[in-house]
Amino acid sequence: MADPRSLLARLKSPPMQPRGRLLVMIATATGLLPLLLQLPPELGTGFGVCAILVGIVSWRRAPPALLRLLVGIGMLVAIAAVAPGVGRDTACAVLAAMLALKPSETFSLRDGRSLVGFALFAPFAAFLLDQGPSSLALALVAVLAALLALQQLAHDEAEVSASTGTKGWPASVGVLKLVLLGLPLALAAFWLFPRLPAPLWGLPERVVARPGLSDTMTPGGWLDLMNDDSPAARVQFIGPAPPQQQMYWRGPVLLDFDGRTWRQAKQLRFLPAGPLQAAGPEWDYQIEPEPTEDRQLVALDLPTEVPDGAFIAHDYSVYSSQPLNGVTRWRMRSVTAAAAEPALPSELRRRALLVPAGFNPRTIALGRQWRADAGADASGNADAAIANRALEMIRREFVYTLNVPLAGRNEIDDFLFDRKQGYCEHFSSAFVVLMRAAGVPARVVTGYAGGYRNPIGDYWLVLNSDAHAWAEVWLPRRGWVRVDPTAAVAPERVFDTIADRQPGRIGAFDGLVPVFNASDWLRRGWNDFVLGYDAQRQQRLLNPFGGRPLGSRELILVFTVISALALAWMAWLLARGERERDPLLRAWHRLGRRYARRGQGREMHEPAEAWAERVGADVPRAGDHLRSLSRRFSDARYAAVEPGARRILLQDLAAHRP
Amino acid sequence: MLAALRRRLQSWMRPRQAEHLPVRLQRNRIYILPTATGLFFGLLLGTMGLGALNFNNNPALLLALLLAGAAQASLIAAHMQLSGVVVDAVAADPVPAGEPLRLRIGLGALDQRMRRGMRIASGEAHAHVAFDHTGSTAELPLLTERRGLMPVPRLALSTVQPLGLARAWAYVWPDQSVLVYPAPEAQAPPLPTPVGDAGRAQVTRAGDDVHHLRGYRAGDAPRTVAWKASARRDSLLVREYEQHRSDQLLLDWQLTAGLPYEQRIRRLARWVDDAEREGRRYALQVPGQPSIPIGLGAAHRHRCLRALALMPGEAALG
Repeated sequence: MADPRSLLARLKSPPMQPRGRLLVMIATATGLLPLLLQLPPELGTGFGVCAILVGIVSWRRAPPALLRLLVGIGMLVAIAAVAPGVGRDTACAVLAAMLALKPSETFSLRDGRSLVGFALFAPFAAFLLDQGPSSLALALVAVLAALLALQQLAHDEAEVSASTGTKGWPASVGVLKLVLLGLPLALAAFWLFPRLPAPLWGLPERVVARPGLSDTMTPGGWLDLMNDDSPAARVQFIGPAPPQQQMYWRGPVLLDFDGRTWRQAKQLRFLPAGPLQAAGPEWDYQIEPEPTEDRQLVALDLPTEVPDGAFIAHDYSVYSSQPLNGVTRWRMRSVTAAAAEPALPSELRRRALLVPAGFNPRTIALGRQWRADAGADASGNADAAIANRALEMIRREFVYTLNVPLAGRNEIDDFLFDRKQGYCEHFSSAFVVLMRAAGVPARVVTGYAGGYRNPIGDYWLVLNSDAHAWAEVWLPRRGWVRVDPTAAVAPERVFDTIADRQPGRIGAFDGLVPVFNASDWLRRGWNDFVLGYDAQRQQRLLNPFGGRPLGSRELILVFTVISALALAWMAWLLARGERERDPLLRAWHRLGRRYARRGQGREMHEPAEAWAERVGADVPRAGDHLRSLSRRFSDARYAAVEPGARRILLQDLAAHRP
Repeated sequence: MLAALRRRLQSWMRPRQAEHLPVRLQRNRIYILPTATGLFFGLLLGTMGLGALNFNNNPALLLALLLAGAAQASLIAAHMQLSGVVVDAVAADPVPAGEPLRLRIGLGALDQRMRRGMRIASGEAHAHVAFDHTGSTAELPLLTERRGLMPVPRLALSTVQPLGLARAWAYVWPDQSVLVYPAPEAQAPPLPTPVGDAGRAQVTRAGDDVHHLRGYRAGDAPRTVAWKASARRDSLLVREYEQHRSDQLLLDWQLTAGLPYEQRIRRLARWVDDAEREGRRYALQVPGQPSIPIGLGAAHRHRCLRALALMPGEAALG
């Protein structure tokens, strides 16, 4: 039975040295950084400051438990205040808070090691929120810092003093070597380890949504989005591309209006799309939307063909069957429609005419009056005339501006009759309500308009700031027709990426444009080759070399072979590390082993020539040769010989057989 | 049960018997297993990898794989720390039983790589050492229990370098013994009365003529210090007496008759130390060994204590 005290002493881990502790803190900080950058800014900065203060305060001794508890509670309250709810981002925020606080009570070696481990979880958590190259670069730094800290802790454990610990290469070189040594195995596993075709369990959702198109629109609510210059999608046309003024990227179609907010008719989503007659050419393209964590896809107006895993809803907007959590690519075809859904089902017609009662009386009155002016006409000419009249009015009297006061109860009345200023949300919303009041079925379509062609890589970049809302009216025989009231006022603002808001341009200075082009092209490559690599791509791995799709069994086989090669390389390094350095000695030992197999090996105490004398007598054929070899070997070892003679000796040693 | 399994495993590991030094560590006798930290990291990386595969999150997967690759490489680095190490020799100065024996282990390496944080252990005793191909010596304090030749135990050379994720170890079992003196008796009677030849037995210390004075040496009895002379010279001087035959001690086995066997040995060991301290010449006579003639000094002491240490056990005497 062991002495309980000694057992306790063994369980209690020795303390970290200051250098080790410092490196652990640095590893924690570098791990925390990519995660903090992905949190809401107020939380990220707050926790960052908190982590630094905690590190400084607790450097010498742990602050009181009560203080730590209070700070922890404060952080949790901050999370609940900024992002109330349970989701992926709040879980990550909790992890960040714990990591920021943990160094205050980390003093022993074992705690230090656990902290380094948990710190490595932080970049992992950051990747659940963002997978950009900057996150990966920061994560790589965190990995190196963590390995450095582990190395220092191992030194601490073994009581390696600073003088011997830093002799030779700096510590970071040793860690880099380890990473490089493990790289072949890691890359083989990355490319070849069979991927899951579908996740086993879903990704928890975020509490704080990213800016982007959503299934609702409240006029005046898009200002953040329209100032967000991050990419929304990248499109590569196969064959010709439509002119930029016709690039309407169709997103959520909003049918229901409650007087304030437009909503998607979600329950109608699975109705089949109406028949579509093409006018003009068909556009064939591949679109890569940025992850939105939503099922909504955007497609060029109007889509006719989408790949498996996506479908076209009744309103011609496209949905994916899986949330877009990662980078995806979709090959689609679209046409300019001559007639879209020329026969409107009565239920859809009813809902496309609904105007909420009790809102915007002046608009409704105006619509009714226009209908009375135009009269009823089954051919749809009157409906078209009403739409044109509205467009004419808007073009004549309205001004485009992003400076819009907060909406009142009768927002559309205010906009149409008093303010006469607004942006796409106001124009489309008011236009649709006016049409409905006049008895013309109409709906709001949101999405993106325009795009920026990157000459590097020849693809189109659609930014979040290209978000746009337009209208569709239904006319007999022609079906749904796109009407863009904003373009009637400010076409240059709709397709604004051409001129003043070209990415990378600052004022009149456009020197950074090539830099932007190149960096976006790199980012696209990153999405393509790193983020977009999945089970399907893995199966097609050998296609460029004329191979057929790989099954998971073959993948495992290839993976095993490649990993075996990588391991063999490591084993070779091992054997090489043990190998005798001097080639002459190596050859001499090999020779000795040949004789040892015959039971005539050299004894440890035996000098070379004595051994040759002893053994040579028994070997009639090779005896003399062995004696001369051993003499020459002794000379080469202990006397000066010219290099040429040494080389010949090496060859002779290698050739000699007992 | 677990302890039995552990012993079984230990006996299975190489080397399975004592071996001649020098010993060169090679891959066929280097073992490596993850530490607790290593297991924790394995679990962590497994979780990360599984999550990344599930969400097809490629940067996270890359991160986990990169770490796993580095961890795998660290196993190799740990192995390389041990491989190529040469244990040249072990040696120790004898100590009385019960005191820690400082076992010196000469270590070197065949290649240029720096070995740091190498742990040498045997049982509870352990030491850390760093060295490169120029070599170094580690000192391992071993517990001693019994007098006699103590076989050098199987030594474990281990390292958790470079990351602390795995411990690589190898055993070295030198076919060598180190001498442990008998522990001197703590409460022993004073030295026996000197024996002269022809029965002249008289204490003559006090009346002896001072032959000459010499400088103080460690171990000189305080009463031999010539205080007056020292005060004049500002350094300690010691009276050296002319050695008379009557001052010679014969430490005889028979003098301790009546005591238990081991205690007799311990008493003699004590008397050897006492005689040395007092600077009195002595001889030793124990059964079964040639008697050791009269003498004084470190070599003589070693000879006597060695003879005592190597006395056969009581059981062997019958």
